[in-house]
Amino acid sequence: MSAVKTSASGGASSTGGSALIGRLVQIAILVAIDLFAAFLVINLARDGIWEFAIFLALVTLFVNVIQFRKELFPIRWISPALVLMGVMVIYPILYTVYVSLTNYSDGNFLTKTQVINQVSRERFLPEGGAVFDYVAYRNEAGEFALLLTNSAGEAFFARVGAPLEAVKPDAEGKFADTIDGFTVLPRSERFSALATLSALSFGPEDQPLQISSGKARALQPRFIYDSAKDSFTDRLDGKVYFADDTIGFFVNVADYEAALAADPNTRISSFYLATPTFAQGAGYRVLVGANNFTRFFTSPAIRGPLLQIFTWTVTFALVSVFSTFALGLLIALLLQADTPAKRVFRTLLIVPYAIPALIAVSTWRGMLNPNMGVIGSTLSDILGYQIPVFSDATWAKVAILLINLWLGYPYFMLVCSGALAAIPSDMYEAAQVDGANTLQQFRFLTLPLLLVSVGPLLIASFTFNFNNFVIIEAFNKGLPPILDTPTAAGQTDILISYAFRLAFGSGRGADFGLASAITIVIFAIVAGITMLQFRFTRQWEETSKNV
Amino acid sequence: MLRKVLGLVTLVAVVLGTFGSAFAQSELVIWADDTRAPVLEELGKQFEAEFGVAVKVQQLGFGDIRDQFKTAAPAGEGPDIIIGAHDWLGELTQSGLLEPLVLDEAFLANFAPAALQGFTFNSTLYGLPYATENVAFLYNPELVETTPATWDEVFALSQMLVKEGKSKYGFVRQEGDPYHFFPIQTAFGGYVFGFDEDGNYNPEDLGVDSEGSIAALTWWENFVKAGLQPQAVDYDVMHNLFEAGDAAMIVTGPWALDRIRKSGVPYVVSPTFPEGAEGVAGKPFLGVQGFMVSSFSKNKELAVAFLTEFVASEDIEVTIKVGDKEMMGYPMYLLGLSRPSAYLPALQANEDPDFVAYGLAGTEALPMPAIPQMGAVWSSWGNAVTAVTQGTETAADAFTKAAEQIRTQLAGN
Repeated sequence: MSAVKTSASGGASSTGGSALIGRLVQIAILVAIDLFAAFLVINLARDGIWEFAIFLALVTLFVNVIQFRKELFPIRWISPALVLMGVMVIYPILYTVYVSLTNYSDGNFLTKTQVINQVSRERFLPEGGAVFDYVAYRNEAGEFALLLTNSAGEAFFARVGAPLEAVKPDAEGKFADTIDGFTVLPRSERFSALATLSALSFGPEDQPLQISSGKARALQPRFIYDSAKDSFTDRLDGKVYFADDTIGFFVNVADYEAALAADPNTRISSFYLATPTFAQGAGYRVLVGANNFTRFFTSPAIRGPLLQIFTWTVTFALVSVFSTFALGLLIALLLQADTPAKRVFRTLLIVPYAIPALIAVSTWRGMLNPNMGVIGSTLSDILGYQIPVFSDATWAKVAILLINLWLGYPYFMLVCSGALAAIPSDMYEAAQVDGANTLQQFRFLTLPLLLVSVGPLLIASFTFNFNNFVIIEAFNKGLPPILDTPTAAGQTDILISYAFRLAFGSGRGADFGLASAITIVIFAIVAGITMLQFRFTRQWEETSKNV
Repeated sequence: MLRKVLGLVTLVAVVLGTFGSAFAQSELVIWADDTRAPVLEELGKQFEAEFGVAVKVQQLGFGDIRDQFKTAAPAGEGPDIIIGAHDWLGELTQSGLLEPLVLDEAFLANFAPAALQGFTFNSTLYGLPYATENVAFLYNPELVETTPATWDEVFALSQMLVKEGKSKYGFVRQEGDPYHFFPIQTAFGGYVFGFDEDGNYNPEDLGVDSEGSIAALTWWENFVKAGLQPQAVDYDVMHNLFEAGDAAMIVTGPWALDRIRKSGVPYVVSPTFPEGAEGVAGKPFLGVQGFMVSSFSKNKELAVAFLTEFVASEDIEVTIKVGDKEMMGYPMYLLGLSRPSAYLPALQANEDPDFVAYGLAGTEALPMPAIPQMGAVWSSWGNAVTAVTQGTETAADAFTKAAEQIRTQLAGN
């Protein structure tokens, strides 16, 4: 330790001023980074985005620590990469887990602070409350005042925090342009002054007038927040709403109990769907523990079509991987031979890979249409029978698998071409000497060596297809429908498209909490399958060692 | 040295000054789609020139506005005003994101009552409408003389046209889409949600499996069984058939007028719908588009003033380019060009007979339910119609099962 110190200080003294300048520049950069980070953190916290603010603060702290700890010196050079990984990869994962534990959804969008602010701002016009047309005036000190007129023909001059003064128009019914040093606001400033004007209260303090929707109105705050009791009182009907942090709603206990008495299965969220205004059923984000997971696993949605959908998802992914790999490898092998115009073929065969999947699938959808599509109508003419590609579950699945084969084989053709070229030709010579025929060469030499390098890509392809939302959604939106289930689902829906419908198409609009929970479940499934597959890869690697 | 320091100080002062004035100035941010944005941009320029308030129009896809607004507004980065459809009200107000509008009755008298009704949620107005849209019954006058009086006549006419080889198909509709099925469903007395005493939609009264709804779907089942409806018809296929003269009758909305006109096929937009078995005329859903003010806006008063005194003023003239043509007029007129306007003077000024017919077809229209429960309805309802069209379910089974699915979801899954 002391040796390091000596050498460091020795180095500093020998290079003298330039090291000092370097240090100063370093500190200056660090200060700039910290200031920027502080700015972001404060803004995020002010908007109530606490999670990211805290994460960002921790990242900044990390950056500072490694600059000042000598033993962490090597980390400095990879710190930008670490920071990016933290912000782009780790944070989203952590956030997904966090959201899955909250009730973040339509109706529970805002944070509690935001809800309290929004509800507190709600105002109402008490019975008999005054409403005036107004003209804005301003004096040289920049203070505003209003000239008020109402339908009864009365006119008042109102300043901030002072009683109203009655004013009289002149003989022609016009009011003076200047009253008590206040001059009428020119037309050009009417709109730019509105932000300031609408924040002011005019007239006496107990009966203030505020500008709202183009008039001066004697509005009163409708909901009074009591921070000690954590409750709102509605001044219109005297009802009290207590914050219930376990469910994330301000609840009127009597109302909810009445609803429960009428139907013991009333869920708080459906109870609030029936409330007339946001203020009376104000919902905010809270942690609800494993609620979303229990909801998912106990919902009729899971009892219903999930097994069917899961089976189809796995079938779809497996068949897609093996069909694309087989066709890709076959073409790669064919192109390996001295085919004439090889490069032209290869280029043409890559085309499906170069077209965006969404466009390709939509085009296929059009071409397969039994009435209008080139392929569909030709087939119906030849067969004298319309193949129900869109209305029969089996045919729809066949079509999807074929389209996915068309989309996916160029990838494996490219990969296999590369991998085949990497197999040394003397191995084949040796095999020929040993008397192996072409088929045996392929089975015992080409395939094992190929799988060493292509194996991991097969797994990646499986994972990709397991979550291949685009092809399902673009081809037929998961249809034809299954109607015998408790929730809407389609015969060609895979897990991810079903989850999408469940989370965003169900009764409550966007339900991010539930969607995150489902995502995590899907992640666990895919991770499990992938781990199984890696075991096979290890076997392939062993094969390659033996070869 | 001194000059350098002075220079630096001046620079800092200038920078601070610019920032300072930028903060002092109020500005309006509006989110609009590509059709509406040019009008608002032009309008914004005039507003800024006259009143010194900058208007920033940010262009988003119509459907994206809702989703982005939901996350941006609470984060303090959202717009002051958005344009959108009235059926977003349920989910947006449920999250407290919209500002109620309190406007003069005299001012509101300029707007179509049905459009205002659409933007009224729980007896509170949340939006200023500029256009309405609904589907209508269209026919090819070379094949069909006049609007058939009943859906049974549509059936018989379709059979006759096909039999006599006049056209490939008679009436053709999109396979599943329940929005386009609604005029048939209502003609037979069916409904989706009933109304309570106050005239608001009542989520307790689900009508998907009501007698009338099933009667309508049974009519459709028979139509399909008679071999009159081709397979796998989506929006594009339906229009291609009609535009090629292969289909004689369709139900579609004003958004399709452009492509129908371009195709050159003769067409008539019928101001009425055929009646159902009981002599009830079908009613389409009414969609309303309009401006909404964010409850997180820091310039609400300004936003409301901009809408009521500028956007809804007939004294302001705006010129925009639509394709190669220059269009001139007051904002509400220009905003309502591609749909029947919700602003009555603009609606009356629009002499295009097709839009007049669309307007008439929508006089009895029911506002598309904005209640959040509607989210649970669309897919199950649509799947039921699809299943019948594909011949995999009977009408009664399909709607009973769909209603079962919807009730399960409404009860909270």
